[in-house]
Formats: sequence, C-alpha cells, structure tokens
Amino acid sequence: MAYAGRQVQYQDISVTLFNPRNLLRIDWWLVIVAIALAAVGWFVMYSAARSTDIMYFHRQIIFFFLGIAALAAFVCIDHRFFVGIAPMLYLGAIALLVVVSFFGTEVKGSERWLALGPLRLQPSEFSKLVMVFMFAWYFTKLGSRIRRLHWFLFTFVIAAVPMALILKQPNLGTAACLGPLTIAMLYVAGCKKWHLAMIIMLGLSLLPVLWWQMKDFDPETPTEPRLFFELRHYQKMRIYTYLHPEYDPRGSGWHTLQSRITIGSGGLSGKGYLQGTQTRLNYLPEHHTDFIFSLLAEEFGFLGAMAVIALFLILLLRGLLFAYDGADMTGTLLATGVVAILAFHIFVNIAITTGLLPVTGIPLPFLSYGGSFYMTTMAGIGLLLSVRLRKQSLSHADMHSPVGHIAIYAAKK
Amino acid sequence: MSVKMQTERYQGVTSRVQWIGIAIMAAMVVLCIQFWRLQVLSLNEFSQLAENNRVWQKRLASDRGIIYDRRGDILADNRASADVVIVPGECPPELLDTVCARLETWIGIDAEELRERIDTHRSAPFTQLQVKRDVTKADRVRIEENLHALPGVTTIVHPQRRYLHGETAGQIIGYLGEINRDELERYADHGYVLGDLIGKGGLERYYERLLHGQDGYMLVTRYASGQPQLRTDKSGRPYIARRDTRGHLLSTEAQPVLPRSGEPLHLTLDIPLQQHCEMLLRGQQGAIVVLDADTGAVLAMASAPGYDPSVFVNRGMSGERLELLSGKKPNRMINRGYREVYPPGSLFKIMLAAAALEEKAADARTRYYCPGHFQIDGRGRRWHCWRRTGHGSMEVVEALAYSCDVYFYNVGLKLGVDKIQHYSNLMGLGVVTGIDLPGEQAGLIPNPQWKDAINADKPVWDRQWYPGETVNLSIGQGAAATTPLQNAVMTACIVNGGYRVRPYLWQERERLRSERIFSETTVEQVIKGLLLCVEKGPPAPTGTCYRAHIPGMSMIGKTGTAQVVSLSHIEHYDDEEDIPYHQRHHAWFVAGVLDRSPRIALCVLIEHGHAGGAVASPVARDVIEFFYANQRDDPSLMLADKE
Repeated sequence: MAYAGRQVQYQDISVTLFNPRNLLRIDWWLVIVAIALAAVGWFVMYSAARSTDIMYFHRQIIFFFLGIAALAAFVCIDHRFFVGIAPMLYLGAIALLVVVSFFGTEVKGSERWLALGPLRLQPSEFSKLVMVFMFAWYFTKLGSRIRRLHWFLFTFVIAAVPMALILKQPNLGTAACLGPLTIAMLYVAGCKKWHLAMIIMLGLSLLPVLWWQMKDFDPETPTEPRLFFELRHYQKMRIYTYLHPEYDPRGSGWHTLQSRITIGSGGLSGKGYLQGTQTRLNYLPEHHTDFIFSLLAEEFGFLGAMAVIALFLILLLRGLLFAYDGADMTGTLLATGVVAILAFHIFVNIAITTGLLPVTGIPLPFLSYGGSFYMTTMAGIGLLLSVRLRKQSLSHADMHSPVGHIAIYAAKK
Repeated sequence: MSVKMQTERYQGVTSRVQWIGIAIMAAMVVLCIQFWRLQVLSLNEFSQLAENNRVWQKRLASDRGIIYDRRGDILADNRASADVVIVPGECPPELLDTVCARLETWIGIDAEELRERIDTHRSAPFTQLQVKRDVTKADRVRIEENLHALPGVTTIVHPQRRYLHGETAGQIIGYLGEINRDELERYADHGYVLGDLIGKGGLERYYERLLHGQDGYMLVTRYASGQPQLRTDKSGRPYIARRDTRGHLLSTEAQPVLPRSGEPLHLTLDIPLQQHCEMLLRGQQGAIVVLDADTGAVLAMASAPGYDPSVFVNRGMSGERLELLSGKKPNRMINRGYREVYPPGSLFKIMLAAAALEEKAADARTRYYCPGHFQIDGRGRRWHCWRRTGHGSMEVVEALAYSCDVYFYNVGLKLGVDKIQHYSNLMGLGVVTGIDLPGEQAGLIPNPQWKDAINADKPVWDRQWYPGETVNLSIGQGAAATTPLQNAVMTACIVNGGYRVRPYLWQERERLRSERIFSETTVEQVIKGLLLCVEKGPPAPTGTCYRAHIPGMSMIGKTGTAQVVSLSHIEHYDDEEDIPYHQRHHAWFVAGVLDRSPRIALCVLIEHGHAGGAVASPVARDVIEFFYANQRDDPSLMLADKE
C-alpha cells in the first residue's frame, strides 16, 4: 500500500489513510452475522459440491479468505480515499468493461471473464462497488443541487454508460442490479420525490416496449435482434418461459419447475442435511451457484430457509443502521449503496428460485459459488464497517478510545 | 489530497433511509410468504413430483408363450433379436453427426433421417431411439466391437416372435402387430403400452391374454442427467445400466418383479397333416378341415392361398405386408375354412335326410319317384334333378347315395322351411361353431323372417317366402351360406352318432358336446346312405363319390356342388373345361371314417373346382390315407381321454 501511514489532508481534518488499528474497532454484530452466513454457505456448498465436484467447496473456502482480506483492506483504508478517486475508478471500470467485451472469455453465453494468468476476474462484479463510490462522490459533490432536474438526470447518464457495456456482454443480472442501486442512492441523496416518481413511471412505461418485443415471439425460431435495444433470443426465451413455464419443461422452464419442486418437497423441516433427492439426482440445475438456496430449502426446510432469510435481514438492517446513524453524507450514501446491492441480490436470487421472477443469473451473497462476487460482497461488508468506523472516530477521537490506546501502545512497541 | 465536499447531512435523510429499510423488510416478507406457500401449503404436491422424479418404474417385458402342435412340434417361439438404439443424451452433441455417419457406413442406415429424428426428440434426450430393428449377427458384432467409437449407441436384445413353419397353418396361428387405440382401451387393465406388439389375427389374437404373460417391473433411482436404460446382457436377460454417463450409480430401489412368460399353447393341430393338406391345395383356392369327430379337435384346417406370418414380424418385408393387407384378390389373409361362406349344395342333403327321418317327415321306407324333374303340386316351374334322365323310385338311402335332387325337393317341402332351419342350426350350419379363432363367419340359412327383414323396403311380393325357395334350399342352393368348418361339424355329427361338437384348437379348451340330436335309427339310415355313396363295388361303383373309396375302411362321404351362377347360364358350354374359371361351381366333399381311431370328419372345398365327385373326393381320400398312415407310425399320438 503506497499510502500506508501517510497523513492526508481531507476536509480540514487529517486522517490516516491506512490504519490497521481500525480492525480492532469494527462493528462485531455485522461481522458475526456475515461469518454466520459464510458458515451456512460452507455447509450448503459442501452438500452441493458432493453431487458435482468437491473442488467447488474447497475453492469457496479459499474465496472466503480472499474475501476476508478484501474486507480487512476496506476496513483499514479510509473509504473517503476511494470516494476521492471515484471518477478515476469509474473511468478505469469503463475501460476494463470495454477491454473485456473485446478480449474476455464468454461463459454460458452470458458472463464475461478477464483472464489474468491464473486469475479469472469479472470486471462487471467489481463495477458494482465502483458505481457506489462514483455515486457517493457525485452526490456529495452536488449536495442540495441534486434537487435540480438536470443534475438529477445526469445521474442516469453516469449509470447508463457501464450499464450499457454490461448489457452488451450480455449480463442482464448485473446490469439490472445497477438500477435499484441508482434509485436507492438518489433517494437517500435527497432528490425531489416527484423526479424519482417520474423516472420510475418512465421505467414502467417501458413495459409496453417489452410487450411489443415479446408479442411475436416464437420460441422455435431464433431471430437476430434487428434494433439495438431488442433483446436476444435467449433473453426473450427466459421471459417467455417465465410466463409459460409449461413450455419446454426440459429447457429453460425446467430450471424454474425443478427449483420449485426442490423447495416445495423440503417441507417444514427439510429432508435432512445431504439428503436432498432433487439435488443428489441432479434435478436441481445450477445447484452450487444460482439455485443454491433451493438446496438449502430442500435439506433444511421452511425453518432453515426462514432462519437464513432472517440472517440476511439482520445483515441488511444492520448495514442500513450505519446509513441511518451515519456521521456524514458520504458514509450514509456508501452504506445505502452497499445495502441496495446486497438486498437486490438476496431478494432477486431467492425470488427466482421460488419462481416469482424469471430466471436470470443473479448470485446469492455468501452462498453462491463464485470468487469475484464473493470478494465484492466481502468488500462491501468491509465498506459498511468502514463507514461505521468513521462515525465512531468522529464521536470518540482515537486517543480517547481505550481500544485505541492499546493499539497505539502496541504500535509504539 | 483535498477535495471540496458537502458532507453535512440534510434534514430528513434518516426518514428516507427508514423507508428503504421498510422496503427491504417488505421484500423479505414476500419471500417468506412464498416459502410458506411452497413448503407448507403445497408440500404434498411437490413431494409427489419429487418422488416421481426420483423413482422410476421400468417395465420388463414378458416372453410370449410358445405354440406347439399336438405332437409337440414348435409352431411359434421367440428368438433373440437385437435392435441397435441410440440415447442422444449420452452422446456429446458435437459427436452426433460423426456417430450417425459411422452408423450409416457400418450398418447401412440413413444418417440424415436418423439425425432428423434425434433433433425432433431433443426435448427428451434420454429416450432410446431405434436406429435399426433386428440387425443381423454380423451387424451386431460390428456395433458391439466398436461401442467406444459410438457414444450413446447400444444394442438391445429382446425376444422376437419366430414362426417356424412358414406358411403352414399361418392363418391359424395369426400374427403380431403394434397395439392400436381400441386394443389399448380393451386391454387397459393388463399393462399394455403404446408400441407393444399384440396378436392381430388367428390364435395369436384369440389367446392374446394367455400368450402374452405378465410384464414385470423394477423400480430404479433416476438421475436427471441419465435415465436408467434397460439393457440386455449377452444372453438377452434385461438389466438396468447401473451407471449413467456421468458415473452416477443407479441403484435399484426394490427387488424386480420378474415378468411371467406367456402360457405355452398346445394345439390339436397335426402339423404333418396340415402340411399335407396345404400341399394338396397348392395352386388352387379352397379349404380342407379335418376334425376329430368325437371331440371336435381340429386336426387340420388348411386354406389356400395362405401367407407366412413371419412377414409381419421380420424386418424388411413391408412390401409383402402391404400386398397382403391390400385386399387384392384372392385374399390370402383369411382362412377359407371358417371365414368364407359358400352355398352348401348337396352336402345339405345329409342334414335334410337326418331331419326328415327325425321328424318322421319320411321314414326308411318312404319312396319318391324321380322322373328327372320336379314341380310343386305338379304345376308351374320345373326343378331339374342333376341327372336329367331321372333316378326312378328312391328311398332315403338310395337318394343319399345317388344324391337325388327330386327326392329331397319332396322331403324339403314336406318338412317345411322352419324345420330345415332348426335342424341346420342344430347341426352347426348357419351358426358360429364356436371355434377358438377370431372372425368366424356365421353363414346363413334363409327363412321367411330373414327374407322379410332384409327386403323391408321392398314391395310385399318381394318380401314373401315362396315354396319354390324351400325347394331351392332343400338342395343347399339359394341364399344358404356355410363355411367348410360348419360342414365338417355337421359330418362329425353323423360320424359320432348324433352329437354336435364344438371345434377347438387349444388342447386344454373346454370340450363342448350337445345333447344327442338324432336317434340311433336316424343316424344309422343316414350312414347307410353315405356309406353307399363311396362304395366302389364290386360289381360297379354305386355312389357319386366312389373316387374317395379306400378299400377296407368303413367310410362315409358326400359330394356337393355349389353353384356360383345359375345352371342355365353355363349350360351352353359343351365341355366343362370351357367354362370361365370364375363361373365354375365350387366343389364340395365331406367324409367321415367310422372304424378307425380317432374317428375323423373332414370337409374339402375347392373353389371353382366344378364337380365335387371328380375334384374334391380324391383329395379327401388322400388326406384320410395320409392321416391314418401317420397315425400308425406313432400310435402314442392318439388324442387322450376320449369322452
């Protein structure tokens, strides 16, 4: 870390850019809930990996520790540093997305990876956090000017560029994630409510466009999109099978159908750990990634599913508390953004497994297999903790904190 | 690094954060409700669906019963037939084209057609698609040695029906075909599925339930990625492929319920006799029915032309199949022994004589004078005797021996049409005999009610029954229609002393015999007449069918000639050879053997054979000689437990 230990002048107060002592003052509630969810994730991943490849389980544990490192980094580094360089991060992310759309490797027709030696990164995952920083920077910079319509609308210009690039990959899930993130941060940033209402109405008015795209859809004949905003055949197919799950029960509808069977057959208390027949016999598709929650619901039943949903809810509300109880606008915005991303993933992923929403690739934090997303999640948790620390450091100066004393003492030695 | 920022929080930011929290909680509540619906309210439904996924009932088809003749010769059995099948889901998609191409070069199938079929079944990739049915041994070996190069391809051995005697008794044994919707409904409780083979004709159809046996099943765990495939080992025993392509173990859930093979069917048919009869009919159209006169056991029921049932089960014979089913004349599919009707002609006189004696319409001494023609009450239309010069004064025995038409015109008129019909039906004419074969024709003995019914829309004079019609009926002409089998049953009734028997083919079928129809004296008189029929002399041949005479055998016989067109129509031909084939009479001959065991009754019909005495009676004689000669060879083959 180039900036480690350097004092930086930031808004009239000098802050330590890289401060490992922060690790001792983190909000343990949030950390315990996050680790509890990660532990649930290991259990479920073990069950899922047994019927596919045990390697997924091993890797997921490695991802956890990489995630812990990312979390620690975000705790130690003052988040205002990232906010400060947010425009650069933003441009960098766009550059990476452009690169990946030319040099990336395609997986399953949708996800784009960037292979850096042994590492495979998904820039679109990390771009979520970059967008949080970018919006935090933008809204803090604007202050109350966000109530002016043109500044309000410019927010969407900022959001649209990476969104378009991610859509082009094409990765519908990640692109869709940026929508709620933008809306939530705008709302908390203090925009006019009717501006927001207008935008949401405009979004809803796009549904007829969607209907227009779908009206002549024939699942049997794949057609190339003629207009730039037209959906690809497989995307239309997903919407179609969402509306007509009985069509092609072995194809896209198979996912929804089998996921519902998996969940439904779990019952109140589940079939028992490692006893899920739907998973064991490979009826549940993608059971180590997007449909892992169905596996949990099958083996641990309604009670298990409720317990995990409760843990998620505690995590989200605790994170939101940091926004509520924040010291400054930057922290409030950052916390809101991270919570919005996590809430979107949790809700949409689980809603897909229960057949409430059409199938699209949205991973579930802590449970789904995937390194980039795991690191993003953990970094987000680190960011939340960092926001909390900022509040604490404002209320009690480092020197007045007993923990801080010990830390400084230890450092001096 | 210094950035000018406005970091003070504005008034009301907390309430906005609160609203976001409320939105998140609402979303989670929606999820909880959905889980409650799926896992608690619809638990049973989804549990059943999961169970359906998990456990699969795999059917184990039963072996079809073997058919034997009365000597224990096998007529129909099952051989191991190998099909080449492909499970597209077990073949990597990029290799499918290569596999199809290899199959084309190795076993000569149409690769493109197969590729298309695979594409149409892509929604169910783990069903077995048939590549080629019943491959030759060489093809099978080639496939099995190259299985590594043909992912997804496998051979399945299953029993295939084999008819060992070709055309012999083909129409009796019948054939198999794919089950249709009606049959599927009819056999709904017996576990048939679409695509099963089922008896379509003959005994295969009549004894379908017996021959089919009971299918077994085994329950197997089913993986989404690979349905368990029923395979067969080298000896043709079915087993479940225990691992799917991804190496998952497929364990059986329960002990298999093994299939029960179909019952063996022991027939009364005597295959050498049947073959001999068919040989005698070769090149002609007709039928020979040989019955055990005392039991009704069918010893032979030959019919020409016939067909080989193998055509329906073997590969590459679809052309012949189509030709057989096209309805082209002569129809080779039906057995003329029991599914085709002919006017009985003079054979009817046997029944009439017996009925008249039994009803006392005539006794042994009653005489009628035959001047060569007959008129009702001496007026009106003349009916000729076949012998234009007349027979003179006739008693019943002589009338039978010479087949005097005039005698029977008189007796028939005296007896009346109702009695004629009554006794005909009693002896088995014009009613189904009840043989254990499908599609038996009942034939017809006309009577006034019948005529009235079929002419209901015509004027009264067309509906009325005229005495002349009774006269016609008395010599078996007119609308009378009988099958050769019925005439054999009628003859058996005389041979066995007056009992109607039900003909049967399955040895274990319940034997039915009517109450005695005719008194001893009646039968005695009729037999006397029929014995005289075949008497060759010395000093001179007396009867109409002396050609059937076998020295040293007590044998009865009667010729018959069934007119196809009216006599006047063909009278102008000088020589019978000149008559067009389809206008020639059908030649009948029935015979019975009284002093051998078993006593047999037989009926020979040669379509368009012109005269029974000349054409049919030598055939009958040949059959009888052949039968008893073979009987002597092997006395242990006597039909058991005579009643």
